[in-house]
Amino acid sequence: MTDVQDKAVSAPTAVAEKSGGVVATLFRFQSVFGLLAVFIAAIIFSPRRDGEILFVSADNLANVVRAVSEIGIIAVGMTFVILIGGIDLSVGAVLGLAAVGSAVLMVESDWGFLPSVVLVLAIGLVFGALQGMATAMIGIQSFIVTLAGLQIARGLARIWSDGQGVAIAYGNGPNEAPNSFAILGERTFGGLVPIPVLIFAVVAIAAVVFLRVSAFSRHLYAVGGNEKAARLSGVPVIRVKIAVFAICGLLAALAGIVHAVQLNQGSPNDGIGYELDAIAAVVIGGTSLAGGRGSVAGTVAGALLLGVLNNILALNNIESNIQLLIKGLVIVAAAALQRLRPAS
Amino acid sequence: MRNLKAPLATAAVAALVLAGCGTTSERTSDQPQAGNSKECKGADGKYTIGMSQANVAEPYRQRMDDDIKAAAKEVSQFEVKFADAAQDNAKQVADVENYITQQIDLLIISPNEAKPLTAVVKKAFDKGIPVLVLDRKVEGDAYTGFIGGDNVEIGTEAGKYVAEKLLPQGGNVVELKGLAGATPQAERHQGFIDAIKANPKLKIVADASGDWLREKGQAQMDALLKANPKIDLVYAHNDPMAEGAYLAAKAVGREKEMKFIGIDALPIPSGGIKAVEQGRLSATFTYPTNGKEAIAAAKKILVDCGTIEKTQTLKTRLIDKENAASIYAEENPTG
Repeated sequence: MTDVQDKAVSAPTAVAEKSGGVVATLFRFQSVFGLLAVFIAAIIFSPRRDGEILFVSADNLANVVRAVSEIGIIAVGMTFVILIGGIDLSVGAVLGLAAVGSAVLMVESDWGFLPSVVLVLAIGLVFGALQGMATAMIGIQSFIVTLAGLQIARGLARIWSDGQGVAIAYGNGPNEAPNSFAILGERTFGGLVPIPVLIFAVVAIAAVVFLRVSAFSRHLYAVGGNEKAARLSGVPVIRVKIAVFAICGLLAALAGIVHAVQLNQGSPNDGIGYELDAIAAVVIGGTSLAGGRGSVAGTVAGALLLGVLNNILALNNIESNIQLLIKGLVIVAAAALQRLRPAS
Repeated sequence: MRNLKAPLATAAVAALVLAGCGTTSERTSDQPQAGNSKECKGADGKYTIGMSQANVAEPYRQRMDDDIKAAAKEVSQFEVKFADAAQDNAKQVADVENYITQQIDLLIISPNEAKPLTAVVKKAFDKGIPVLVLDRKVEGDAYTGFIGGDNVEIGTEAGKYVAEKLLPQGGNVVELKGLAGATPQAERHQGFIDAIKANPKLKIVADASGDWLREKGQAQMDALLKANPKIDLVYAHNDPMAEGAYLAAKAVGREKEMKFIGIDALPIPSGGIKAVEQGRLSATFTYPTNGKEAIAAAKKILVDCGTIEKTQTLKTRLIDKENAASIYAEENPTG
């Protein structure tokens, strides 16, 4: 009992002190240091024009974060799921379902901005919760449940959209989405900061704070650390699992709304393969796929690292096939570093 | 859980405050039509061209890139860079943004889909970068020129060929369609059925969707062969599906009873021209990659300081047993 409690409490905050020393700290902030290293490398290898380092131009940095904002939002939810030792393969398909839903509701059904967004988020939340129930109450592995969920969400998106991309035009007329929705895809602070970046930032900060202060956080790490022990020590394992999958579904739906507004379209093919990018961000962020160990901050750093890497490879026009190899190697390297990490 | 309310509320308020700091719209920019606004340096300049491809996993699109590369080699002032969006609209938006950051001199784009790419193409165009759009269009007119094929015309040519040359005596036709919902699929279908009306003895007895894929075409044809004892012609919306249908017929020993025609005629070893040359397909119709024409247009804009037509539609060509070998050689001059 005490052992479990101890582990649950210490995992998020006290790994460094416990294993002691600089090495442990380095490992704990592995993804942040990784991000820093990639960032510096990007500055060094950035193409220049008239003395200007193109990579660090404000416009480009905004592009980098904008490009990973959807994956980042999904990856935050994915972190929760992986922390309890689960996986969610359905997030890309839920993103597609949410993108289609936003477009169909606002364009074809002429719903207002708020009701559409609320319904779409609710769909994501319920979809996630149902997956959580299937895995927590029936005991099917989350890999299988969400693999099925992926198919179901994709099928629903196809049915809802008639298999076609639904184009989004803005205005007050019939078959136009309200202008208030368009704002989500624009830039603020003098046209510099894309709103999707702000949404990602808010989600990330809320998640970090949530994991720091809520009692739920201890339960989450406990379930991930040792589910049986957690159950014996009174942690409501089933409720925790359902809540975690519900959060993940909700965030995937939020990413879908952001996706639709950024591309002015909701297509049933949106988000194919995004679950893998999100898992990659979580892994690079140092969260253990075995559960019980990791952090949202690491995931955010992991997502940004992938974004910077994508950007600098593209700015240098590295061939797309080679880019795939490099990204694969980075993921393996991050996972290898985790193996070297001293046990907490 | 009660601890959670305060931070969440703080975050929500922060979001509202931040979002309220004033937004600017990229959509309502009313700058004058640009695209040629930069001073033309002509033949003395060096030019970087960015090519944004929708998905090189499709052989047609890989060939488009290859054609651009080959044509650009002939223009000493050009250096072409390539990006692949792997069929993801969001990735392609980022690709174009990166090209804008790199301050390329001309953008060539073959969009994955029209609507999602329109805004970013306009952004490039408004920054004074000439934009050539290939194969699939974007919305509006914020681009310098569009170069593409005409799928209705291709379907019509295929229908005419069947009605007049291949089956003048009439017969049963099976149609293998491309991906449902895709514009080329609808257009290749429409052109064909309108054209075969000229020969009332031709009848479409069955159709199925092969999603552009060889294996799907094969599986669909397996079923169609069982259901239809007499088939005289298979019209497939692209060559891979025609080849798949051929394999299905061959597996049950019926490939000699019927003829197969496809579309695309890629001049690559696994493409339709070779299939015609080797006798599996009776004919195929070229769907131009537009690569050569794009570089010619880029040369006109950048090197010759000229203007190009807003829309350039390329004609299709019939490939049959007689011209297959010579056209393959012509399209692959270096072997």
